[in-house]
Amino acid sequence: MSLTPASGIGRFYKQSAKIIRFVRQGCTNRPFYHIVVMERRKNQHQPVIEQVGSYDPLPNDFNERLVALNTERIRFWLGKGAHLSVPAAELLGIAGLLPIHPRTYMTAWRNRRKAADEAQAEATSS
Amino acid sequence: MSLFRHIRSLNALQILRPGRRHLSTASLQYDQDPQPLFTDAETQSLLQSMTQLQLDKVFRKRTVPDNSTEMKFMTPDQLEKEFVQAIEKARHLLQMPPIVKVKVDTERLISKDAALKDFASTKYVFTDITYGLPQSERKVVVRESDGTLAYANLETVKRMNQLYFPLEGRKSYIPRMFTDEELLKSALDTHKYEFILDRATVQYEPYEPEFHNILSRVFEHLNESKQFDLLRSTRHFGPMAFFYAWHRCIDDLLYDMIRRDYLHNAAELIALSYKIHKIPLDYRSTLEQISALRSTPAEKALEDLRNSIQAPEERQRVGGIEQEIHLAIGKTENDFASDEICLKFIEQYIASEHALKKVQLELAIQTLKEVNLEKLQLFKGLKKAHGVNVN
Repeated sequence: MSLTPASGIGRFYKQSAKIIRFVRQGCTNRPFYHIVVMERRKNQHQPVIEQVGSYDPLPNDFNERLVALNTERIRFWLGKGAHLSVPAAELLGIAGLLPIHPRTYMTAWRNRRKAADEAQAEATSS
Repeated sequence: MSLFRHIRSLNALQILRPGRRHLSTASLQYDQDPQPLFTDAETQSLLQSMTQLQLDKVFRKRTVPDNSTEMKFMTPDQLEKEFVQAIEKARHLLQMPPIVKVKVDTERLISKDAALKDFASTKYVFTDITYGLPQSERKVVVRESDGTLAYANLETVKRMNQLYFPLEGRKSYIPRMFTDEELLKSALDTHKYEFILDRATVQYEPYEPEFHNILSRVFEHLNESKQFDLLRSTRHFGPMAFFYAWHRCIDDLLYDMIRRDYLHNAAELIALSYKIHKIPLDYRSTLEQISALRSTPAEKALEDLRNSIQAPEERQRVGGIEQEIHLAIGKTENDFASDEICLKFIEQYIASEHALKKVQLELAIQTLKEVNLEKLQLFKGLKKAHGVNVN
């Protein structure tokens, strides 16, 4: 895997559908994502139009997940009519850049229900 | 290789041990915002004059990878241009790190969404990496796992800035020198003041409490060991003098200046303390008189540079015997005149209630007066012997 500049080297058609999505970098058992703008029809590992951020899903020493967003370029591409993949839309929602994605609410609700169930099971067993 | 691993494990431990991350606090802290007084043009010129400009100290050999020198043949015009550039570079290297008040961290909430509780097991930190923003304007926000979105605290902002836009020389962990009391103490006891101050300047922002704490620790230690000459002609001399003037403990530094025959600096230090504490004594007229008689440090350094390349015969042809006498004595008529004014001003200070170590200072003044008198007599005698006019 060779490194390409963040400005991207991907060729694209003027009218083609663009999408803001993740590209999985990193290696086995160590995911790391680039947030990129690319043509929707392309495979994730093909050259991108532009990299607009990064996302490290594994918590660091301070127990936080780090996300970097080039908000100026993201807003530019959204204004151009770029689509959003669901994970990217969720992340931008959490960042406060877009409204919170419904799926985030679903995850939160399911996590809460699971925790409540476990607590109840523990209470009945003890 | 194992040494690196050992150091890395020590640094990793430090993150997880929050109790050991702070040094003991220094006793002297700025009680008000020192910034307006420090950045004031008059204060800056006083501090710059006190710092002096010794070129061989500014451009001394450092422990850097490349200490090579370059030899060139030049015409006198090119040489003159090179001199001016060297002075300009030295002035740039002597720029003082600013003294500003400690920034207080305020919590700024953006939104609070109870329906988002437990959406993830950890918090998310979002950094805006838009090109071309200055570090101070870069927005960093944190989404806690309970759904609150807020601006990150100063410590996180600094960590993220260092992560995405690293500053050369700044470490992403705090050097153990600044977390381990014993290491800092051993550095202080071996008088590595400039090293500590340089590293603190790189590692910390000027508004951080740790920066103020380390500066105070160093200056307090320096005031006891009295090795002020180690910082002279470095970028930390100005903040040091300002610190002593602010906390009313200039007497040791004053004694050092008088002992080394930097009387104009001593007068400037006293003037600075008068200015900071708003003591109703007229110091401006004295300063004006002194500045009329003496050249600024930069001018003096340039003059020394020009003199240093002249051959003795040429020097005699250009400046005559008068300059030869000045070089032998180390002082000119103007210097003697300004010393007179400074002495009067310093004695006025020693007699006032602001001086704490009166006996010591008086003795130093007395010794200096005798030495100066001898020099003046020699100066006049030499001039008379060579038939040069004496005023």
